[in-house]
Amino acid sequence: VQPPEKPLQAEEWNRLRESFRSPEIFEEVMFNSMVKCNSPIDVAKSLLTHVAKSNGDIAYNLLLKYLALCVQQGQTSEIQDMYDIMKTRFRILESGAYNLFIRGLSNSDQWRMALTLLEEVKKIMTPSRTNYESCIKAASRHQEMNLAFELYHEMLAKDLVPTLDVLQAFFDYSRSMKGADLQKELFGILLYLRENQIYPHKTFMRSIKLWFESIPGENWRGHLTNIKDSGQCPVCNTQLEDSDLTEEEYNNLRERIIRDVIHGTDTFRKTSPQEFEAFQTFVENRLPFDIVIDGLNVSHIKPRKMQCENLFDAVSYLAKENARLLVLGRKHMLINSSNWKREIMKEMQNKADFFFAENISEDDAFLLYATLRSGKHCKFVTRDFLRDHKACLSDSVTRHLFRKWQRGHQIVFSPSFVSIFIQQPAFRYDCVVQTTGDTWHIPYKDIFEEKYSFQVPRKWLCIQQKL
Amino acid sequence: MQSANVLLRKIVRSSVLPFAAQHGMKKDLFPLSRTLSLSPCLKQDNSCSPSEKLDLDAWKKVMKSGLQEVSETVSEHKELSTLAAAREILEMWRLAGRSVPENISEEQLKTFVECPSKSAKKKYLKYLHLKELYKKNDKRKMEEKRERRLETEEQAAKTDETKRNSFICLWASCMDRAYNWRVAQSMIFGQPLVFDMSYEKEMSVREVANTVRQLVLSEGCNRRSVDPFHIHFCNFKDDSLYHKEFIKHYREAWGKLLITVTDQCYTDVFPKDKLIYLTADSPKVMKTFDHDKIYIVGSMVDRSIKTGVSLARAKRLGLETAALPLEKYLLWNTGAKNLTLDQMMHILLTLKDTGDWKKALEFVPKRKYCGFVSKPVNELKKTLNLINTLKLGKRQEEVRRQFAKNYSKKRTQK
Repeated sequence: VQPPEKPLQAEEWNRLRESFRSPEIFEEVMFNSMVKCNSPIDVAKSLLTHVAKSNGDIAYNLLLKYLALCVQQGQTSEIQDMYDIMKTRFRILESGAYNLFIRGLSNSDQWRMALTLLEEVKKIMTPSRTNYESCIKAASRHQEMNLAFELYHEMLAKDLVPTLDVLQAFFDYSRSMKGADLQKELFGILLYLRENQIYPHKTFMRSIKLWFESIPGENWRGHLTNIKDSGQCPVCNTQLEDSDLTEEEYNNLRERIIRDVIHGTDTFRKTSPQEFEAFQTFVENRLPFDIVIDGLNVSHIKPRKMQCENLFDAVSYLAKENARLLVLGRKHMLINSSNWKREIMKEMQNKADFFFAENISEDDAFLLYATLRSGKHCKFVTRDFLRDHKACLSDSVTRHLFRKWQRGHQIVFSPSFVSIFIQQPAFRYDCVVQTTGDTWHIPYKDIFEEKYSFQVPRKWLCIQQKL
Repeated sequence: MQSANVLLRKIVRSSVLPFAAQHGMKKDLFPLSRTLSLSPCLKQDNSCSPSEKLDLDAWKKVMKSGLQEVSETVSEHKELSTLAAAREILEMWRLAGRSVPENISEEQLKTFVECPSKSAKKKYLKYLHLKELYKKNDKRKMEEKRERRLETEEQAAKTDETKRNSFICLWASCMDRAYNWRVAQSMIFGQPLVFDMSYEKEMSVREVANTVRQLVLSEGCNRRSVDPFHIHFCNFKDDSLYHKEFIKHYREAWGKLLITVTDQCYTDVFPKDKLIYLTADSPKVMKTFDHDKIYIVGSMVDRSIKTGVSLARAKRLGLETAALPLEKYLLWNTGAKNLTLDQMMHILLTLKDTGDWKKALEFVPKRKYCGFVSKPVNELKKTLNLINTLKLGKRQEEVRRQFAKNYSKKRTQK
């Protein structure tokens, strides 16, 4: 239904209602379309008056919808009126109403009332992150940075994940403000981005840049740049952090992979204890490897070619540099078939070590184990994104470690129409927000760029302090 | 024009309008005959007049006026227990039009409060809401049915017709006795079928409830079949969740069921070489139904698709495994290959009686497959391979094009 443009009289509403297909829900549908079309609130008021006069009462959901309309149009006094009415009418309000009130009031000069509402919400449930978002934005808009940060820390303490919008608001509203505490808080946000491997988008990046450049007396300058493959920043010549994990992180990751990915709830799901033990002794006897290859994955690179030929190409390509190779496969590869020729397999076994798992076992888990066991220099070859294995890890810290390690150690082959492979090398530097004190390097993504968890942005913001 | 405006205003004000409209006057006056699309000529005076004819804030007075009694009670309520508070919030959500049940028991409320996250709470409420709706609908239908029956009975009483029949009407209990006789025989001579009840840890409470429901259905259809299986519930622990749910379903009949319930493992009850574990993850595909083997079905509903759980169990015990030949006989469309327990039961019973795969696999839900494979499998495989190579060939072409594009881009960047 199309809402009318002008307030209507009771009789006119009646007539509209009767012409409507199902009159019981007429008001609801009408209010919905008013919200959708952003009708003037006078029209909504006239409908409310009509409902109030004919029923002597207005249902909660209609009030809620009217409130949504008021919030949408920023009618502050009306929102306050609504609050008074609903507060006296109902014993408690539910989350939907509170969301609307907080959003509506935080955008007005009555924003402090939104804070009291937030307190009210806390009594009955955990406020949502959008509740906090509204309040934080309102506070920082009015330059009450201390209050805003207090709310921000409260939110983090409740395990709510702040939106990038909130973080950006901090940078936007603290521009050209002085204060060591404030600066520390904002650096804290940058470290939050680092720890959670969050990449700001373009406009957020710009806010960060502008804030740095606006700090009075510190003379920061920001430049947009791309980092060289060697990991050096072309603007300030700083060498970025390498992607190696620390000894502790490395050991931690290895243990977690064995515990969560290989054993999981039941060792029999991915392999069997005997097989895993056999594999462990096999690996221990031949350590360390330089490159571990997922044989079956590599063998499917070129679908037109015989599978063992694909593998042969890859192995001989990698064997050139005198690297110690380990190829993981399954037992069915040993059976002479149209795809797996015995002679070629024999020849390959001279160039590399092979381990064949049972046909129903998962070889990826072995791949991870062998690579991690060989040490930090060891890389692995597969096109698999390893998302399912990442998902097996139980906490987000380890998952981040896993991604970081994967970025630094995975080699991806992709087929090309010339007969050699294109090798996508492992990253030498770590793609994360980082600082040396007088420089900051912040990776960012273009807003519309698709990003998967295994992809990292290639664009960087370099900020340096010129003394 | 002036005078017409004055006339109109008078009409509008004196609320003759509905009357006039009814009598077709509106049609003559305003060519666009919607309620207030007469505005084009009235715009200027309409915009300043509504306040005098329409009190837009009248509703506020109404809302505020009838409330004195309510607001008094508000002050009495101070501190509410968490459960009572939850109940109140639920009530408000219901008023706001969310899918929330109307009535909620103390126990359900407790589960609601204990839900770990907001979305879990929402899901649970929706589940209760739908359950309530179904219940209500069923009740309504039952009542309608009863009314109809009463009516026909009345009519029958009027016509006063007596039926003559050589049998006494004792169908249900007679049938029960016959079925029980058959099942009792199968318990002595029949082929065993094992349900592995060791998955309780793998499932949520609701999944266990679903499992037991499916088991009850399968037991029912086994009982009614011509040549029933001898059902074994193995690894069954007393006072487990399974047990509680079974008692909910069967009540006192649980003790009288003609099945074997044991806390032993199937490997202790039967010789190992006769056991075959049925699991969708098995690499081996079942070819024929073997009347000398003992098939094991895992009593597990996994909504979160935990792959390889039952396969792991069979591997641990070193048992043979098998999967139904779904791919071989059906053109699979969507959905997971794991079937419900009652579907498995139907399929196995049909196989046992007829050995006809086509007939047996009728029990796979229709939405999951497109149709039966009609041609010999190897021929179909050929066409499938052809399709696949065509597809792959196409993909290769795409990759090549993509690469060429990137490559030229790189060069231009340099």
